[in-house]
Amino acid sequence: MKTITKTIRSIGLATLGAAMLTTAAARADDTIKVGILHSLSGTMAISETTLKDAMLMLIEEQNKKGGLLGKQLEAVVVDPASDWPLFAEKARELLDVHKVAAVFGNWTSVSRKSVLPVFSELNGILFYPVQYEGEESQRNVFYTGAAPNQQAIPAVDYLLENEEVERWVLAGTDYVYPRTTNKILEAYLKSKGVAEEDIMINYTPFGHSDWQTIVSDIKTFGSAGKKTAVVSTINGDANVPFYKELGNQGISAEDIPVIAFSVGEEELAGLDTEPLVGHLAAWNYFQSVESDENEAFIETWKAFTGDENRVTNDPMEAHYIGFNMWVKAVEKAGTTDVDTVIDEIIGVAVPNLSGGYSAMMPNHHITKPVLIGEIQEDGQFEIVDETDGLVAGDAWSDYLPDSAKLISDWRKPLSCGNFNVETATCGGKGS
Amino acid sequence: MISSFVFRALDRRARGVIAILLAVALLVPLANLGLPSDHPLHVPNYTVGLVGKYLTYALLALALDLVWGYCGILSLGHGAFFALGGYAMGMYLMRQIGSRGVYGDPVLPDFMVFLNWQELPWFWLGFDQFWFAAIMILAVPGLLAFAFGWFAFRSRVTGVYLSIITQAMTYALLLAFFRNEMGFGGNNGLTDFKDILGANIQADTTRAALFSASAIALALAFLICSGIVRSKFGMVLVAVRDAESRSRFFGYRVENVKLFVFVVSAMMAGVAGALYVPQVGIINPGEFAPANSIEIVIWTAVGGRGTLVGPIIGAVLVNAGKSVFTAAFPEFWLFALGALFVAVTLFLPKGIVGAWSAATARLKRQKAKPPVDAAASPEAAE
Amino acid sequence: MHRLIRPLTLLLLLFAVLPTASAQTELGGLIDALSTGKLKQRSGQIEAIAATGDARAVPALQALREGDLYFRKSDKKVFITQKDGKDFRLIDPLSGELAGTETKKALSKVKTNNRLRRQIDDVIGALTLLSEDPQTRIAAAATIFKTADPASLETLEAAIAQESDAEVLAAMQRARAAIVLKTDAPDSDKIEAIERLSSDGGREALPLLTAMAARSEGAVAAAAQQAVAKAERTAALWDTGQTIWYGISLGSVLLLAAIGLAVTFGVMGVINMAHGEMVMLGAYTTFVVQELIRANMPGLFDYSLAIALPLAFLVSGACGFALERGVIRFLYGRPLETLLATWGVSLILQQAIRTIFGPTNQEVGNPTWMSGAYELGGLTFTANRLWIVVFAMIVFSALFVVLKKTAFGLQMRAVTQNRKMASSMGIRTPWVDALTFALGSGIAGIAGVALSQIANVSPNLGQNYIIDSFMVVVFGGVGNLWGTLIGAMSLGIANKFLEPYAGAVLAKILILILIILFIQKRPKGLFALKGRAVEA
Repeated sequence: MKTITKTIRSIGLATLGAAMLTTAAARADDTIKVGILHSLSGTMAISETTLKDAMLMLIEEQNKKGGLLGKQLEAVVVDPASDWPLFAEKARELLDVHKVAAVFGNWTSVSRKSVLPVFSELNGILFYPVQYEGEESQRNVFYTGAAPNQQAIPAVDYLLENEEVERWVLAGTDYVYPRTTNKILEAYLKSKGVAEEDIMINYTPFGHSDWQTIVSDIKTFGSAGKKTAVVSTINGDANVPFYKELGNQGISAEDIPVIAFSVGEEELAGLDTEPLVGHLAAWNYFQSVESDENEAFIETWKAFTGDENRVTNDPMEAHYIGFNMWVKAVEKAGTTDVDTVIDEIIGVAVPNLSGGYSAMMPNHHITKPVLIGEIQEDGQFEIVDETDGLVAGDAWSDYLPDSAKLISDWRKPLSCGNFNVETATCGGKGS
Repeated sequence: MISSFVFRALDRRARGVIAILLAVALLVPLANLGLPSDHPLHVPNYTVGLVGKYLTYALLALALDLVWGYCGILSLGHGAFFALGGYAMGMYLMRQIGSRGVYGDPVLPDFMVFLNWQELPWFWLGFDQFWFAAIMILAVPGLLAFAFGWFAFRSRVTGVYLSIITQAMTYALLLAFFRNEMGFGGNNGLTDFKDILGANIQADTTRAALFSASAIALALAFLICSGIVRSKFGMVLVAVRDAESRSRFFGYRVENVKLFVFVVSAMMAGVAGALYVPQVGIINPGEFAPANSIEIVIWTAVGGRGTLVGPIIGAVLVNAGKSVFTAAFPEFWLFALGALFVAVTLFLPKGIVGAWSAATARLKRQKAKPPVDAAASPEAAE
Repeated sequence: MHRLIRPLTLLLLLFAVLPTASAQTELGGLIDALSTGKLKQRSGQIEAIAATGDARAVPALQALREGDLYFRKSDKKVFITQKDGKDFRLIDPLSGELAGTETKKALSKVKTNNRLRRQIDDVIGALTLLSEDPQTRIAAAATIFKTADPASLETLEAAIAQESDAEVLAAMQRARAAIVLKTDAPDSDKIEAIERLSSDGGREALPLLTAMAARSEGAVAAAAQQAVAKAERTAALWDTGQTIWYGISLGSVLLLAAIGLAVTFGVMGVINMAHGEMVMLGAYTTFVVQELIRANMPGLFDYSLAIALPLAFLVSGACGFALERGVIRFLYGRPLETLLATWGVSLILQQAIRTIFGPTNQEVGNPTWMSGAYELGGLTFTANRLWIVVFAMIVFSALFVVLKKTAFGLQMRAVTQNRKMASSMGIRTPWVDALTFALGSGIAGIAGVALSQIANVSPNLGQNYIIDSFMVVVFGGVGNLWGTLIGAMSLGIANKFLEPYAGAVLAKILILILIILFIQKRPKGLFALKGRAVEA
């Protein structure tokens, strides 16, 4: 098996040349291997390919700075092809065959859930860079994307305060992230005095393309004389037809603003943004952030990809933070040993791209600022609001009855991802 | 009766295949567990898991071949039976987690706590018992196939129409299982398994045992398929495949013949799914995707349909190729895979085994009379 | 906020005639003040500007609304800007005179948000009730109708008093009625208002009336309830019409996606899994054409689709031709095996596009004539959907004519029905096969041009339509063009009627089950081919 891989790889080198240089051509001992587990084909390739490129860039930059612990970093790229069981197989390959020191990858909860058992069995480190629904804290995983309290709740607060919204449409794709986010938001809105009949929840399948009925429903819902807004957890591909239909049915941002949690610069690049001006998004980073780190990052990115029009986005920043945290923790520990790094990385703070520092919390989530941006004609966001300080990611939402009493703290001696403060035991709500 | 069935089922080639499978079932786990990891013959854990997965795929391809290669029913929905078997196993494994889930609920799986469900839906009852789950692994795909086949074959839906409605079936199930209201975990599916039959699912021994179970299941399925196609009933199958109307005029109840193999095949696919899930650690609606079902057809075609060895070889080869290519050329592997399919269809119309048989038959013809092999004539299957 | 509008309007009118020197400097200072403070303070700044009542503030406010207001970083002076290449032309916000150019780096934008935009709209909107242009006045009245703020009543009544245009008057009266319902006017006035809203308030009046029925008592409530009942009846009728339209529009998309397949699969019997990729190629052709036009001749942008159509037909057609000559012709008589080969081809095409254009979505713009919507009674027709319906019908008719009225169509049908006989009659069957396949693929390419207007242009585009396309063709009956048309339309309409009750996901599942059951009833689809060709 292994020899076959090697033979084929060398043939590949000969024929395909440069594209492969990063993954091969090194002895195992004098390099530190870093796994990149992002889909390069299939439905998720749209989002994930960029992250693979971002990781390659970060590794290249680190190597220019002299590598890590005096060794060069070597990227191992595999393609899990948007196929969830394949994610588990490829994770096993990275950890077991390639013996990587850390893995950066995954997008979507299901792919993460698929690899979790592999990481805990083989004791690896995974950095997950995308916003997610929370309700999870694993010893081997570091969540550098936003938890719901780092994205959804501040976004709703913004609409409540600044737009005085009274009626809410929670529209999402039917999977776990929108389901949970909407549940948290529903509880949160009710706690703010919003009535049941002023909340409309709608779910659509992946890649939904015919939005006529739903958009006209939203229009009707919003014509009740109360200020209405849409909180969109619509995933990837379905967004383009959704926004197109909004524009065509004449719903402007001033009438019914849409705030999205999955639409970033990358998604807007595939869209005619003119009818969308004024619609909103909540992220922890926008390309338009004004800071020196960001300027340098964008410049390096454009140089690395050789494309002036390539945009940066929030999950890229998450990898940037995650990678630097890992580097710093390894330097601090003086080794890439997984257990040591997992212990050392807690409390590590590195610069984020919005001009501050992000720190790794004991619950394996990080601190981040929350930014609200309005879509501009050029496909960028204009930051219209920003939380006063950094928000620490909360693994267990305070607005869900079963998780409100859970906390996560991976420091010794607690070392528990779901510690119940009521029963003072590790292991959920207990029986 | 049974012994005569077994006797008829075993020609020389079949005996060879079964012997190889049983040897694999025995030796690979031994080489994995018994030999130190620096021994040249040591089989690493990673390979055990991988090949175990291929074996379940092989079983699935064999199931498809029984209906497609021998009865001319091109099912583009066999992934659905596979996934249903997988879900039945997944539900058993979910119930085994008990209070070790992240919320620590003794009965409800995590995703139900997460959705604020108060009690277990009725269709989850009983899945805490392995025997019940085992029955369901066979019964659910079998019943679906029976209901589907009962209507479809009676209405004489054939050819592409049948293929497309099987595709519609798996597509509808895909969408249904995506719905969180269905109670099967939505898009995330079932995951985070801990125990199977009391053994830690991540332990090396469990993995080796599952590997053996897959190999033995495949050998057993091979025996059954071999028995079916070599019996008189098998002759009728081929007759239905090659000339459906004519068989009907001879007085055979074509729809019953089709229904029988369809149900048997669906059950085999269900078993494959049930063995697949504990080895990969997740079952999710993605398994219902029509593209997956098409891939099964492709494995069978690459290996050689209408032969029993073909689908096994095809499934293992294509998937091994996929594993190697996705790591070796992450950017280009789809070109290789696509080209393989085109090349096989154009240059090896009967698959690898068909081409091999043709080549060896040509050699033998110079020496003696060629063996009569019903399996080697899959033309005019439609 | 709205309380401001009434005195404001009067003030603005007054000061528009009498600008004073002190107002000049004061306003200038207030506008420059926009460069300071955070977004949260901006609302107060705008109020302060509005409070001067100086109409010359309008251009600056408008520029702020459109995001064209910048300030110079060096001296914090605020300017209206126009883009001039990479730089910005600076225009003095008060005098409207050119005040030089600056690079983007030297400037900083005066930020705004939705709420401020609405505030500006209100300030400007109250003004425009007396505008010269009747359309602007109607728009202003519509804005007031929406907000229905009692504070605007006086201004509105003043405007009604001098309005002469009947259409504008009706709009203003409607707005007035909406406001009256919110005030404590006498019951007779309210009933009158309810009647007005009921007779020409349209759909938007329904929530107002419902709220009124719940809020009031006695005669007013009775009148409101009656009006609500009436409005609901009309709305239900229009809704049915609207749903049918949505269904037709979805059906047209299905038809476009499937019609090429109706040729390659329906007529030739090739299970072309690469059909979706032919659609995708068409969409990417549109993208490339638009990019070239954007770069070279921006003036032609509105014609980009017309230019892309023949090109897409050629690109996909050529690709189809190559596919037939290179692969499929070796597989005739083995139709199910074409599935394998074309599946392989589809993987290759997808990955090729991914390698060339990248995996992300590409931006394909809507020409102006495909943006916006048309209203007809209670129905809304969005322009892009309307054009797609029209386009689908044109493509269908054209294909129908080709098949039934041309020599090529005749040969094609002959080859389909009896290849050997056709061949012995002197028809070059391989040639006809290749051209038929190219035709089907070319039509798929054309469909891609249309679908690029409503869907994502990404390497996965084709995958999203392939299953639906097969369902349509099989449901309609393989080999029958009418079947494809009626199949597409009935699936589209059925889907849209189910969607409000069952939700989008369940509706789709139900449709699939319906197809499965239907095929049991009619195993050869809606319009089954008869005769010997069927058994072949």
